[in-house]
Amino acid sequence: MTLIKTGQGFWDPVVWLVSVALSALIVYWIWSKGRKDYKEGTEQDKPFLCGHPEPEKGKVHVRASNIYWGFTEALKGYYDPLIKSHTGVLSDYVGWLIGILALVSFIILVV
Amino acid sequence: MINEYFHKSLWVFHFNSGSCNGCDIEILAALMPRHDLERFGIRLVGTPRHADVLLVTGPVTRKMADKLKRIYEQVPDPKVVIVIGSCGITGGVFYESYNLFGPVDNIIPVDVYVPGCPPRPEAIIHGVVKAWVKLEKLRRGEEVAA
Repeated sequence: MTLIKTGQGFWDPVVWLVSVALSALIVYWIWSKGRKDYKEGTEQDKPFLCGHPEPEKGKVHVRASNIYWGFTEALKGYYDPLIKSHTGVLSDYVGWLIGILALVSFIILVV
Repeated sequence: MINEYFHKSLWVFHFNSGSCNGCDIEILAALMPRHDLERFGIRLVGTPRHADVLLVTGPVTRKMADKLKRIYEQVPDPKVVIVIGSCGITGGVFYESYNLFGPVDNIIPVDVYVPGCPPRPEAIIHGVVKAWVKLEKLRRGEEVAA
């Protein structure tokens, strides 16, 4: 009744739910076989970093800019003046809007 | 019943606290085909979290002292510490050096000492067997001599 045939295969939410439940049971069984004698709240509970203390989470966090730094580096000439013009002051943005609108209007109406 | 007779194999984490590598080479010799400790399931592991035994070489330099302490604390209980070589036991040729924080038992409790500069693989294996006996007693919750 819930079966949908796609031509390439089928989709059935009941089968999907049963598969997920079965996988979760297997995962739980594997997890339950792990060591339980670690002492929580001690060094045994912390990651092994070759004996070094664990740094603050913020210091080891990979920033999103790491993904596109090459892009911004290549277009530095374009981005640098743009970043400088972003003052964060609302009246500056309104000024830019009015200025650009005036320029576009001038181009459309006169030129 | 089966678990009673088939305990987990002995897994060892090796920590070099500033050794000249002489002891480290002898540890490798104990694992190589001539002596082949791995046939008993004894193997070196890459993290103290999987280890039963902490194997320490070197006299413990100042820079390594806090690392040794932290790694010792990261080994799950029950655990046993073996010191390989004279440097870790007394400081050896580096005795009273300005740069030493050791010997090892200044920083963490030691269960088995294997003297030598470096000790032969046979001596290392003997030390590992002693440690294994102590670990089995600890696992059974028996009293063991300090």
